[in-house]
Amino acid sequence: MRRFALCLLLAFASHAAAEPPRVVTLSPSLTSILLALDARDAIVGVDDSSAQAEPRVRDLPRVGGLFNPSVEAIVALRPTLVALVPGAQQRDLQERLAGLGIEVLALPNIGYEDVVRSIARLGDRVGRGAAARAREDAIRAAWRDAGARVEHRARVRTVLVLQREPLYVVGRGSFLDAMLDAAGAENLARRFDDPYPRVSVEWLIDAAPDLILDAADPTGEAGAFWAHWPSIPAVAKQRIVTLDRSITIPGPYLDRSLAALTARVSGAAP
Amino acid sequence: MKVLTARAAALRLGLLAALLLGSIVLGLAAGPSSLAPGEALRALFASDAAGPAADIALRVRLPRVLLAAAVGAALAVAGALFQALLRNPLADPYVLGVSGGAAVGGILALSLGSALGWGAAAVTPAAFAGALVTTAALYAVAAVRGRVSSTHLLLTGVVFNAFASAGIVFVASLAGLSEGTSLFLWLIGSLSAVRTEAAPLVAAFLALGLGCALPLLRDLDLLSLGEESAAQLGVDVTRLQRVLLLSTSLMVGAAVSVAGLIGFVGLIVPHLLRLRLGPDHRLLVPASALGGAAFLVLCDTAARTVLGGRELPVGAITALAGGPLFLYLLRRQHLQSGTP
Repeated sequence: MRRFALCLLLAFASHAAAEPPRVVTLSPSLTSILLALDARDAIVGVDDSSAQAEPRVRDLPRVGGLFNPSVEAIVALRPTLVALVPGAQQRDLQERLAGLGIEVLALPNIGYEDVVRSIARLGDRVGRGAAARAREDAIRAAWRDAGARVEHRARVRTVLVLQREPLYVVGRGSFLDAMLDAAGAENLARRFDDPYPRVSVEWLIDAAPDLILDAADPTGEAGAFWAHWPSIPAVAKQRIVTLDRSITIPGPYLDRSLAALTARVSGAAP
Repeated sequence: MKVLTARAAALRLGLLAALLLGSIVLGLAAGPSSLAPGEALRALFASDAAGPAADIALRVRLPRVLLAAAVGAALAVAGALFQALLRNPLADPYVLGVSGGAAVGGILALSLGSALGWGAAAVTPAAFAGALVTTAALYAVAAVRGRVSSTHLLLTGVVFNAFASAGIVFVASLAGLSEGTSLFLWLIGSLSAVRTEAAPLVAAFLALGLGCALPLLRDLDLLSLGEESAAQLGVDVTRLQRVLLLSTSLMVGAAVSVAGLIGFVGLIVPHLLRLRLGPDHRLLVPASALGGAAFLVLCDTAARTVLGGRELPVGAITALAGGPLFLYLLRRQHLQSGTP
């Protein structure tokens, strides 16, 4: 009898292990990581922003916005895993899902290492470990190569703008700060111990950047906005470069973003 | 009741004008950059000003200080008029939800405007319409024979504010995340708008609002005796209420449309001035304009300097100062009236 029970348990366990993962993602960056790892089949539901950003998941069930996902909609999809980026609003959600017996994988995406590690961790959980490792290796190799290329070059004094009014820039500690460093830029907003500080225009004029990378919407208004302050060296030298918003996403293709950023920074190098 | 002679009133207005001038000079001289105060002030008057000093003094600080002065004056005058109209010292456009109503109007124009091709010009008229509708509704709901009890006033304000917040969140959610984020930031209250036409716009609406209200200030004093008594003394109460409704909505709508929700200016400034100058509206209203302007210029100077290059929303500073004062006033009124 005991042997029979053990066999039954093992059979159940092996069945559970073989069950394909059912993942709900609550962030566009995590959704794009799964897609990059060719794990589209593992996704059973996404947040609204993911559906807006990624055409390949538009037909999947949606579970609400980044900040107000519906617990009921998530539970109804019977996920084996909910992947999210931890934040103040998500803490409560995390606890509620855990209370309902749903596993939550919280993957921070502030720093460079956070983003790279989240690719590996998510890949392991959906049986795409090898693909994740390959993506991670490609990113680390791109970082090393870029670093070696710009090592002896003069750094370009740069500010990366995420929003103009009010003014938000990339500060110390974010993956974009690491990307600016690898691309040969000197991020002048590193003095702010905050990954995305709100700063004053006056500080920016005083910092006198030689290059302003502007990733704010709408891109068409960047030139007219910065022309208000002709004394900024980047304005005087016409080095206001608009960036595609996709470069600022902490997703699976940091190597491509770095290549694009390096080209912009190199173009402005003295 | 404190009654001042014309000379004493003029002297006090002169002192307030000097305070405003001092706060403007401080606002122009102080900032997070390494620019020396003297250099900043020199750049303002140099005919050939160029370089970072000119950019900072002329193109960052000057428009911002002027905007703070115009918004502060508009909110404080609106507060003083609300308090007279509703005969309640706790009335304030922010507490009553009138600013929230203006924000809903502005935000609707901002969201629908991009879809319908209206442009940013529709925001101020829409905010004015929002403020007007909210004030009229507030008056209709809360006033009993023209008088508003504190309980009625605050409860109606709570409901209006909740309704406005819900409307703002609803529109922001529909507008999509990135636009939603900037909408929320706009509603925190900020004077960092770069548009140089913002200060003249608010000043024009302030002048229009004041132009409507100034000839009626004596009638406003009589209204404090009660609607029936005021009517017996020859005041056209209905006309007075309508004109003041329009006047306050013009000022609040313009202020909210360029600076977002900045709270408590309309509460603190008229109240402190009433304590010092007495209740005569012919003095209190112009004094509120000067005092409100000086108060917000000082608050904004603090907001953009205390954290170095990082900025605090000015609404946080005014709320920190205004919240405790509001509670103190509520407590004092409660003790004086002896009602539960």
